[in-house]
Amino acid sequence: MALSREAYRALEDIVGPENISEEPAILDSYAFQWLAETIRPGQSKFMPRPEAAVLPGSTEEVQAIVKTCNRYKIKVKPYSTGWYFYCAPQTEGVIQLDMRRMDRILEIDERNMFAVVEPYVIAATLQAEVMKLGLNCCVTGAGASCSPLASATSYHGAGPSSIFGGENNQNLLSLEWVMPNGDILRTGSLGSGLGWFCSEGPGPSLRGIVRGTLGAKGGLGVFTKCALKLFPWPGPAELPVEGTVPAYNSPLPDNLRAYSLAFPSWENYFEAYYKIYDNEIGYIAHRQFSMLGTELGTAFWMLYNDPTKTLDDIEEFTQKPEIKKLTEEMKIAFQIVLAGLTPRHLEYQEKVLDEILADTGGWKVAAMSQPAMERFTLLYLIRLGHKNLNFVYNGGWLGTFMQAGTPDYVKGYRHIAEEVTEPYQKKGLLVDCGVDAMMGPVGSMGGGGNCALEQFGYYDVADKESTDAVVSWTKDCVKGAIDKGFVPGKGSHYLAMGMTREQRQSSYASAPWLGMYRWQRKIKGIIDPKDIGDELYPTLDEPGK
Amino acid sequence: MALEDYRADCVSCSRCSYCKWIPFDHVKSLRFSRGCPSIEYSKFQAYSLGGRLSVALSLMEGRSGYSEALKDIVWKCQTDGACDVADKICRYNIEGLEVLHELRFRLVEEGQTLPRHMAVIDNLRKEHNTMLKPKAGRGKWAEGLDVKDLTREKAEVVFHAGCRFSYDAELHNIPRTALTLLHKAGVDIGIMGKGEMCCGGRVYDMGYREQFTECARNNIRAWTKAGVKTVVTSCADGYHAFKRLYPELGANFEVLHTVEFIDRLIKEGKIKFKKAVPMTVTYHDPCHLGRRGEPYVPWQGKRKKIFGQIPVWEPPKPRYNGAWGVYQPPRDVLKAIPGLELVEMERIREYAWCCGAGGGVIDAYPDFSLWTAAERIEEAKSTGAEAIVGACPWCERNFTDAVKAKDEKIKVYDVIELVQRAI
Repeated sequence: MALSREAYRALEDIVGPENISEEPAILDSYAFQWLAETIRPGQSKFMPRPEAAVLPGSTEEVQAIVKTCNRYKIKVKPYSTGWYFYCAPQTEGVIQLDMRRMDRILEIDERNMFAVVEPYVIAATLQAEVMKLGLNCCVTGAGASCSPLASATSYHGAGPSSIFGGENNQNLLSLEWVMPNGDILRTGSLGSGLGWFCSEGPGPSLRGIVRGTLGAKGGLGVFTKCALKLFPWPGPAELPVEGTVPAYNSPLPDNLRAYSLAFPSWENYFEAYYKIYDNEIGYIAHRQFSMLGTELGTAFWMLYNDPTKTLDDIEEFTQKPEIKKLTEEMKIAFQIVLAGLTPRHLEYQEKVLDEILADTGGWKVAAMSQPAMERFTLLYLIRLGHKNLNFVYNGGWLGTFMQAGTPDYVKGYRHIAEEVTEPYQKKGLLVDCGVDAMMGPVGSMGGGGNCALEQFGYYDVADKESTDAVVSWTKDCVKGAIDKGFVPGKGSHYLAMGMTREQRQSSYASAPWLGMYRWQRKIKGIIDPKDIGDELYPTLDEPGK
Repeated sequence: MALEDYRADCVSCSRCSYCKWIPFDHVKSLRFSRGCPSIEYSKFQAYSLGGRLSVALSLMEGRSGYSEALKDIVWKCQTDGACDVADKICRYNIEGLEVLHELRFRLVEEGQTLPRHMAVIDNLRKEHNTMLKPKAGRGKWAEGLDVKDLTREKAEVVFHAGCRFSYDAELHNIPRTALTLLHKAGVDIGIMGKGEMCCGGRVYDMGYREQFTECARNNIRAWTKAGVKTVVTSCADGYHAFKRLYPELGANFEVLHTVEFIDRLIKEGKIKFKKAVPMTVTYHDPCHLGRRGEPYVPWQGKRKKIFGQIPVWEPPKPRYNGAWGVYQPPRDVLKAIPGLELVEMERIREYAWCCGAGGGVIDAYPDFSLWTAAERIEEAKSTGAEAIVGACPWCERNFTDAVKAKDEKIKVYDVIELVQRAI
């Protein structure tokens, strides 16, 4: 369904001919998405092709586009950096808004510790700029390549530093929003013309409506600017970087220290989480390196730090006695960065950490505290510039479960993750990297108290059988969680992407929180009366309709 | 190889966008964080490496066909390789730059070419250069120099000037100085003069594999006949062709860029500096000397799967990720010059921003080419340097033109020009 010439010309008049295209090759580059193969017919890498790609350069242009879409009844799908199949149109008849021209950091308020950003500012650039002022921002688990605005307004917002600096949905302050009806709404203090410092007033506080449970993923208008809370950075204004590509490392000052902490049992492991929360230590805390599987991951990290080696050498690494030993040692482990705002602050944290380890039987993994690995760990966790190594095995990665809650809640699901994963690995359908390939923040919100673990499955995206298997595995993960009394987790959101509208309605109707979907229908009815947003803002139809 | 052989590379792109930026660990500012000129200039997703992988897949699957828009996507790119470096931070097993080349080879083989490129290719066929000039003028740059003519004599070392140095009169001083320095240092060196042929590297990047092979075979034959053991060039494009591409055709010469040779001679005490050059400069890493200047490693292998679903190569495939290019020798030469201070830009070494001239862009898209150079000049100015120094005539020409177009004051030099001042 191509756009009418009248509609196309109207859009072209707004952004200029150089910022709009309906060339098939260009449009296919927008349709191409990671994970599309798990839900599209024939394992196609292409989501539905947008009718046009449009690149707005300002809020005014976005508003004019949205009004035009209302006039011509065209659906609109915005994205910031565009990673994930959520970013693509879900159906035919949608135009894609690529927000890359809106890439400014508009303000950094050093005293009040916030930054105002546009959609295409990525975490790496925001962090680099605020570090010059002794500040830091939350780099979400999606990594340095992703947009903090997107995570704050439209999806998840947690990352390794969330235990100290909060997650981006917590850090969201005032917001500028082009609503689906074309009105511009400015929330929080901005709504009263008092600047960006507060999300809750004296202007309207609509964070709950904006975000819902997990963000609208581009289905509810366009967020054009937002303010994000920052937190102190006790390191240098610029990250010093050494090492040979790709294993860069950072010789940071001694007030920043990275450890891998290992434990004799999962009970001890999660007990340490509670003690870390209670004693308020840690700048970054994350179960990171296990993401590549506890049987294979250690070999990979050692290989990665040898710039003469490639993935082709991994079998050789698994056979090295010192790596076998380290693999055993790292099975129940997480990473922590301590940052001393003063020398005494660091000294205090070190003492507390040693006490926690003594109480829980844990220890600092010596091999990971060697200068080269410590420097690598620091840079890895601070910048998250290597985050997408979860694609290193074969380009296919899917994370499921993502159970978030108290450590006591999360620890119960570990068994399910392992039980469900084991047959797929043993049959060789997913990468046999160890049934525990779980990763997640030790504290997924500011101050801790809440953590998460996500189980990773690695499939060869160029292999039909393996791709089929990851879909089946995801279904089993969801079922396994529900059967054992857990919420379905992240995998259910992925699977929902492949459902028809009718199937989604049925799924929403059977959810324990179906009332939320009904309320979201009412909200959508008010702010999106022409239904220009896509299906990813979940709403439950009225019974009988 | 054919484009279809890279299907797995295309489908396994995770669309992470790393290819658009310099490696994130090295990001120091918003202003100089971008790595790919192509998407910065053309903006649409298709103009990134990830976008081009999806366009290649779309073409292979028959979802899109040939069009002017497709040709624009394929050729409005310097093939500078910055995307390939950033991409391999996380993906050892995607050969993005190879896919870009295969896409060009495919289009050329099917007659989907750009008229401006065809003019270059026609001239190369007839006149053996890419500068749209007659063959007869090739050796003029060396007139008056006392140097062996290797079309008639023999020498251990051949100095290959390349097309740009041979025909760009404003730059003639650079190869003349380089050659004179090496000659005075006692090197048994000669030139092919008007018998010199294009290295073929630039047409390879433009997608003309056959023409490249013809150039390479001619040069290999001529050097072999002249008893050459070592090939020296001041051109980064030539260096890449000789170092990385020629060995695939059986060449077995030592290949040195003049900055490497001069660095060696300085360290051996055969070149000594007598004058100070009081100047603050910044060094620009040419793509074809740096990240694309990694030495060729012979290899043949087969795919196999390990640990269930990890595709790997047996024996292990050589790693080309920008780590082993020529980065330190030019810096060491500059640091050895008395009075000269070297300051670094934010994007350097394997993640340097391109000068804009490569991949046929200077021929087909001159505005984009100059825009890219101007972006680099802005970065150079941000360091406070008085001059930007390079080691490639294409970079120097593009920077000089950008400086002139923008009425900038910053100077543009080749490393050799500063060495000459210090002697």
